[in-house]
Amino acid sequence: MKLNWMRKQQLTGYLFIAPNMVGVSLFIIIPALFSFFLAFTNWEFPLLKADFVGLSNFKRLIQDEVFYTSLKNTLIFLGSVPVSVGLGFLTALILNKSVYFKNALRTMFFLPYITTGVAIAFVWMLIFQPENGPINSILRSLGIDHPPGWLSSTSSAIFVFDIIWVWFLLGYNVIIYLAALQEVSSELLEASRIDGARKLHTIRFVIWPLVSPTTLFLLMTGFIVSIKQMGIFQAITDGGPGNSTTVLSLFIYKTAFRYYDMGYASAISVFLLLIIIAITAIQWIAQKKWVHYS
Amino acid sequence: MRKLLTTIMMFIFAFVMIYPFLWMISTSFKQPFEVFEYPFQWISDQPTIKYHENVWTGPASFVNYYLNSLKISIISTIGAVFFAAVAAYGFSRIEFKGRDTMFVVYLVAMMIPNQIIFVPKFIMFNAIGIYNTHMALILPGLFTVLGVFMLRQFFIAVPKDISESAMLDGAGHFGIFLRMMLPMAKPSLATFAIIDFSWHWNDFENALIFLLDKELYTVSLGLQNFVLENTVDYNGMMAAATAGMIPMIIVFLIGQKFIVEGLASSAVKG
Amino acid sequence: MKKTGIVLALVLIAVSVLSACSSNGKESGGQAESSAEASKDVVNLTFWGGVPPEAGPQEIVDNWNKENPDIQVTYVRYVNDDSGNLKLDTALIAGQNVDIFANYTKPLLTKRVSSGAALDLSQFTDYNIDDKMGPSAKEWAVDGKYYAMPTKRNMHFVWMNKDALDEAGLPVPTDWTLADVEKYAKALQTDTRWGYTTFPFWRDIVPFDGSLAVQGYVKEDGTSNLGAPIVEKALQAHYDMMHTSKVSPPISLIETTKMNVIAEFLGNKLALLNAGEWMFRDANNLTDYPRDFKVAFAPLPRITQEQDDFRYLGGLGDAIAINAKSEYKEEAWAFLKWYADGGMLPQASGGRIPASKDADQDKAVELLLGDLEDKYDVESLKRILNNDLPTFQVTLPQEVIDLRREEFDKYYIKAQSLEDTINNVAKRHNDYLKRK
Repeated sequence: MKLNWMRKQQLTGYLFIAPNMVGVSLFIIIPALFSFFLAFTNWEFPLLKADFVGLSNFKRLIQDEVFYTSLKNTLIFLGSVPVSVGLGFLTALILNKSVYFKNALRTMFFLPYITTGVAIAFVWMLIFQPENGPINSILRSLGIDHPPGWLSSTSSAIFVFDIIWVWFLLGYNVIIYLAALQEVSSELLEASRIDGARKLHTIRFVIWPLVSPTTLFLLMTGFIVSIKQMGIFQAITDGGPGNSTTVLSLFIYKTAFRYYDMGYASAISVFLLLIIIAITAIQWIAQKKWVHYS
Repeated sequence: MRKLLTTIMMFIFAFVMIYPFLWMISTSFKQPFEVFEYPFQWISDQPTIKYHENVWTGPASFVNYYLNSLKISIISTIGAVFFAAVAAYGFSRIEFKGRDTMFVVYLVAMMIPNQIIFVPKFIMFNAIGIYNTHMALILPGLFTVLGVFMLRQFFIAVPKDISESAMLDGAGHFGIFLRMMLPMAKPSLATFAIIDFSWHWNDFENALIFLLDKELYTVSLGLQNFVLENTVDYNGMMAAATAGMIPMIIVFLIGQKFIVEGLASSAVKG
Repeated sequence: MKKTGIVLALVLIAVSVLSACSSNGKESGGQAESSAEASKDVVNLTFWGGVPPEAGPQEIVDNWNKENPDIQVTYVRYVNDDSGNLKLDTALIAGQNVDIFANYTKPLLTKRVSSGAALDLSQFTDYNIDDKMGPSAKEWAVDGKYYAMPTKRNMHFVWMNKDALDEAGLPVPTDWTLADVEKYAKALQTDTRWGYTTFPFWRDIVPFDGSLAVQGYVKEDGTSNLGAPIVEKALQAHYDMMHTSKVSPPISLIETTKMNVIAEFLGNKLALLNAGEWMFRDANNLTDYPRDFKVAFAPLPRITQEQDDFRYLGGLGDAIAINAKSEYKEEAWAFLKWYADGGMLPQASGGRIPASKDADQDKAVELLLGDLEDKYDVESLKRILNNDLPTFQVTLPQEVIDLRREEFDKYYIKAQSLEDTINNVAKRHNDYLKRK
């Protein structure tokens, strides 16, 4: 009897996940496997033949300066994710209970997510323009004689992208946190308030743990989406100046579609995947420490 | 009083969020040489509506692009939400062997960068004959991983006793899924639908490679028409892009309603 | 309120279903049309090019279609950037919808030849490309054979604000060096007007490769020659113009404002612009770029006075190929010949002068100037159009061009010394050469 029931569960389980799984396998996993196989060849698109080259693409990668620069830039860029998630949490808290016109505000916060990339690229470029832009004008008026060159300087350019990305992800984080906050039972909040707990205390020890699954979700998906992001870099600086805003995804794109070096691009992609798996695994394992499921 | 102050502060914050959007609209009514003028002026000295006219009428009208984008985005989103919900339910509410391992495989699939899937996908689609059709965008669009992840998140949070008592009453998983989970999941479904719709609507790379015939073009491809040989017609592009955001905003507003309703009804249930 | 949401959703669905029906109808209707036409023996060709249709190609295709009702050509525009070329390459592989296509750089053509996409034109013996296009056409041959026909003359030269020249009492130069450019730029610069700059896309190529074209990019021992002394001199000169004499806008300004240097020149905010024939499109467009000053032309500046191996970026461009998998090779060839010998003239107003000796060159210049003859210094223009300065084509692979630009940019924005820049370029080029 029990065995039958378990078998039935098994079957039902498979049936439920099958459609999506088949699609994902077909359109994501299989193409990806093919690509990874390419990492061991020297195929150049659109030529008709390729040779096996074993690990030579990976050897080349280890000695490639641009790879290390891209890696560094990518990690710096990913720093924007936790910042945006944290800011999103605070913003959602405020929008949840402490304002009027909540719906209008929520729509306004979500707008960047759906604004055309070209417009976003332009506006931020103009804002950070070193000679005439508002940011440096303000800095100068505050007495700073040599404000950073932002996008025109190899040392500060990548940080501009961090700022832009925090801004961009904010809407997404706010929306999701708002939904999660609604779930937080108002009874619980009332109870803690009656207890005399101060606002900060409630936030830190009641609300934050309660939305921790959402936080984990936002961090995980945030890192994954951000590491794949390429368009914004292409639109604003195309990786420059020098290579200071080249991130791994852009490096892969240029290698594959500008230099048509598919073998090498696949090798870089393998590394990219390993890195993101590592980042995700760390979060997944660490969740035991701080994520609370009710 | 405090609430008023906070509201004002948030509106100032929100203004920063919508700044590029306002820039888009402002540029679409300006003259070409005003686009890069410094200091920045919100309203042009010689405003014109000709760029907006060109979007809706005339030889370069975007109407067909909108219909194509709508078709692809709507079908893909509805399909994606459905397939993701089904899979998410399986991953969260049914106990079966290998479930968590398979979910990890899923997660890894989500991390695969898009650029490297392009060429194999192209080869595949060419072989099965859907290259240069809308199917090439719709079909892969029906299967997302993020959706499964997002919805599974929600389903996990629903208390088990609700479905357990329904099962004791003899309901099968599919019944529970359709009649109980889906209605309760409206906020999550709506949230994912909005995000997924925006991906399809703004997708450029896929449309570029897989659509050859002009009649099949989407809005994001259409914007390329404004990239001239030496320069870019920003005014025209912004006019088309602004109009292009309208469906997105409509979808967002509709989604919001579902989210609010869903939450209201679950609050009533307690 | 709830009802409105549902109604809206239904409307959206209805629209999508309707459009699905209509576009399906179009697709199948299109097929029905073409099969009906096929029975009438009409051949349909598609011609892919990077020029926006309204800049000439549409007129060209319409002209042909009128004269040749049995061969109808459709123009498809692709953006000549990485994504656009990828689109063309995937379409070529898929074997669909591309009969004739334009190649804008030699490396791109070579790739398409290697993948078998470009047809070997030597099977057609009724048109001698060398004869028609001149000696520069050879630069487009792959393994000694022609797989594409170069059709336009590439011309790079310096645009000058003649009114400003006259004001400063300076003559139009016929041969000059970077030092002269600096002198001119200093004289012509004002508070609202920069002195000199180069069109960004060609900035790292024009002066440097003009010298290396003769010396070669690779030394006899197989190592990189990109660090040759003449390169250092050129780099230094440009750096000085940006930071010492300050007659050129710094790279950082150009990049962070996506400065449209053409608009700057035409708007009298830049006195000298190192560019080429493609600017005529905008220079003739007085609606969007109103101006009242005359434009004069000078050849590209050499690097130093003693330099006698300088080459002027030029040669031929717009190499048009036929898809090896096309079903209508003969018809495509007919179109191509017609195009090269004069069919392409509607593009002349944008600066595209036909290379073929059988094309009406006078007509081309006429179209080029339009009715704006008084806005140009015709004498210097003729000098530019009809000279026998030695030319060269860019043959460096994209990867090398990119790495060089990355290093040069770092020098220009003061993130790296001149010495390091030269060393890095040579080192990275050597790494590249070792791989190939």
